Amino acid sequence: MVFIMPASVIVKLFYSLGWLILLISPLVHAGNFTITSAQVNKIGNGYVLNANINYPLTPRVIEAIENGVPITFVQQLELVHEIPILGKYWHWKQTQWSTELRYELRYHALAQQYVLLSSGTHNRRNFTTLNDALRALGLIVNLALPPEHLSDLDNLKLYLRTELDIHALPTPMRPGALLSSKWQLASPWVNIKWF
Amino acid sequence: MVLKLVKHLSSGVAPYISLAILLLVLAYLLSAATQDSSRLNDLFLLIFGVGIVSLILLTAILGRSLYRLYRDFKNKEEGSRLTIRLVSLFVLLILGSTLIVYGFSMHFLHRGINSWFDVKVEQALNDSLELSRTAFSIRMRSLLRQTRMMSGVLSELPVSDINHNLRELSQLSGALELSLWTMDGKLISSSIENQAIIIPDKPSESVFRQLQQKEDYISLDPGENDRLQLRAAVQLPLKRPFQQALFLHVLFPVNDHLSTLGKTVQKAYTDYKELSYLRKPLVTIFTLTLSLIVLLTVLASIWFAIWIARRIVEPLQELSEGTQAVASGNYNTQLTASGHDEIGFLVRSFNQMTQRLTQSRNATQRSHRQLEKQTNYLTTVLGSLSSGVITIDDKKYLRTANVTSSKILNINLQHHIKKPIEELSSQHQNLQAFVQLIEQQSLLTTGWQQQLNLQQRGQQTLMCRGTPLPNDDGWVIVFDDITTLLQAQRNAAWGEVARRLAHEIKNPLTPIQLSAERLQHKYLPLLPADQSGTLTKLTNTIVQQVEAMKSMVNDFSDYARNPGLQLSMHSIGHLIREVLALYQSNPNHQFTLLNSKQDITINIDRNRFRQVLHNLLKNAIEASENANLQVDIVLSYHMVTHNNSPWLEMTINDHGPGLSAEIANKLFEPYATNKTKGTGLGLAIVKKIIEEHGGNVWAENLDPSGASIIILLPLEDSKL
Repeated sequence: MVFIMPASVIVKLFYSLGWLILLISPLVHAGNFTITSAQVNKIGNGYVLNANINYPLTPRVIEAIENGVPITFVQQLELVHEIPILGKYWHWKQTQWSTELRYELRYHALAQQYVLLSSGTHNRRNFTTLNDALRALGLIVNLALPPEHLSDLDNLKLYLRTELDIHALPTPMRPGALLSSKWQLASPWVNIKWF
Repeated sequence: MVLKLVKHLSSGVAPYISLAILLLVLAYLLSAATQDSSRLNDLFLLIFGVGIVSLILLTAILGRSLYRLYRDFKNKEEGSRLTIRLVSLFVLLILGSTLIVYGFSMHFLHRGINSWFDVKVEQALNDSLELSRTAFSIRMRSLLRQTRMMSGVLSELPVSDINHNLRELSQLSGALELSLWTMDGKLISSSIENQAIIIPDKPSESVFRQLQQKEDYISLDPGENDRLQLRAAVQLPLKRPFQQALFLHVLFPVNDHLSTLGKTVQKAYTDYKELSYLRKPLVTIFTLTLSLIVLLTVLASIWFAIWIARRIVEPLQELSEGTQAVASGNYNTQLTASGHDEIGFLVRSFNQMTQRLTQSRNATQRSHRQLEKQTNYLTTVLGSLSSGVITIDDKKYLRTANVTSSKILNINLQHHIKKPIEELSSQHQNLQAFVQLIEQQSLLTTGWQQQLNLQQRGQQTLMCRGTPLPNDDGWVIVFDDITTLLQAQRNAAWGEVARRLAHEIKNPLTPIQLSAERLQHKYLPLLPADQSGTLTKLTNTIVQQVEAMKSMVNDFSDYARNPGLQLSMHSIGHLIREVLALYQSNPNHQFTLLNSKQDITINIDRNRFRQVLHNLLKNAIEASENANLQVDIVLSYHMVTHNNSPWLEMTINDHGPGLSAEIANKLFEPYATNKTKGTGLGLAIVKKIIEEHGGNVWAENLDPSGASIIILLPLEDSKL
């Protein structure tokens, strides 16, 4: 009798957790990260993305990096097929393709260098200053877009956003980060122009 | 929909089951986390979420329980005060013990986490890092010198030979990678030890920036798998004017041992630093988790305390309600026995008690019903008796009286039940003798029997018998109306006398009369004239006396005769007027007939009723004439209701001298006369005829003078 509906209970539990986070999230304003420039260029038959993102970090985040806590940044890309249904008020949207680029930034105490590690490519770059590392992080140069989704550019839109991934933080920091505006660092979705 | 769901979930056992599951999950997660403290980090959010949900649910359940408790207390429900006292006690106990444990746990938690960190260890780690840096910096300086030398060598060579010489230099210096770059980031030439790599690692911006400031660059770089490398960049000396500024970029390997040591130091230092940095949030998390669990425990314990208190109080409450029910007379109360403890024993004892009570009450009711039945039986038996039965208690109060007693005494005795019998005599003068007899005789201690005469509707003779009830509890008095019996006995005796007289005397009378007449007829002519007168006188006397005797014998014969009634319907008024007509020839006699409003027809023997009227009228006239009074007779008749049946009441009033006391009682008996003439059988015959008709006749004196004869005849079969 008691164990008839554990699944539903767990589902309920996660729902309540989700509700909790949803209730808390709007209390803190998202922002700070800005996409200063972004555009898609055509090179040969393909299209590449070039963008520049500004990552101003809060002192709390910098303090964490200085203390050896690795910080993860996520850059999300979405290729959306948008068909206007009610003029400009409502669009029927279908995500064609999406990807996310994850970078981990950490401080190497012995080398006194900032190490930027790309999670996808395992590419590792070292920087003597934090600003150099952030500048390198914010620079997207000639990122190739999947050609199979770009055959028809009509009503096709590319969106970009970036955020600091709180869930990748060490667990003891997560509850504090979830509740603190000093950790809620993200940019809004930005529609990228085609050239 | 949502409200319905919430309502459904908040009622019944659903919240308790959910809570139980949540707490089980929480317990599992906590056990998992405590077994491996590193997992607490991963499980924290889940534990926290489950805990919060459980807390909310538990708070709701507890709130509901507390609200019910408050409501019960406010409504002054049975047992609510005891429940609150128990709950308060439990809560105090729970809060006291839990707070002590909580305080100590917090203290140990803080001390435990703080003990991870030590100033000496921190200092040692800092020093080891510094030592590593120093060790590397020595190597870095020598390598920088080496790089400068290589750049000096390269600057002397023509551009065409550079490529070849780079490879040589690479082999000589043991560098991983040698490359020559322009200051604007263009690769001139490179030599890489690893054949798989074609393009050399491009120097970072900081390298360019430092070189532009005319400073050489050397740094320790973490490479693949945190393997350490040394990176150096030196600008080539300008030998010729307008020569393009170039710099040499070299990557040196760090030997394995040093690299491993450096890695270890780096990792230890970083981990310690991170842990130290995370100390505050970690303490917060542990504190939160502990507080949550303590709060959950406290709330669950309080809820459990309420539940336990209710469980304990519930049977007591039932017992209290049951006792109240029994006190108010409901013996059917049965409580549900629970458990085998003392309370269960109490409940079972209570149930036994109520069962016994019910049984005994039923037995009482049964015996009461039986008693009632017996009483009814006795009452019926007494009611059907022809004797009157009454009982009086020791204070002379009437207790019971059967129906016949009321009939005999001609009053409703049921109205006098539980009243003193003196009341009877004061309200009914004619019962005075009866009451006096009872009062006198009840002074005795043994049974008694006595005959008693009462004056009502003529004379009534009662035979009374008194028997004392057991335990001096009063008397039972049985009495019979023997008037009729006595009368019948007397009548029978007189009838026998009359019949014999008639028979014995009548027979010789005729020969006597004939003999006297013959004597006169035969011897009168033979006698001298002076003696014939005497003979005539003597024989006439004989004849006259014989006539008188004949007439007397005829009267007796009439009285004794019982020819049987020839009943037929006759108008009573008509009959009376017929008889009166015979008497109206005498102008000195005055008769008045007071007619009833309605003509009454009665089933009667016409001739015998005429005789009744003749006898009565003759009696009345004689009574007045004997006293030399005016003959003034008033007759009246009307219908009366007696004992729920119609009767004809006829009265004949004269204005004579009335009845003397001595004769009044025996007026209707033969030879009860104060007259010189007559046989004295007239009124006896009247009484006989009336009684043959089922009626009654009696006489009363009138005020101031005169007598009244009252006749009652049944009208049951007659028509109005």
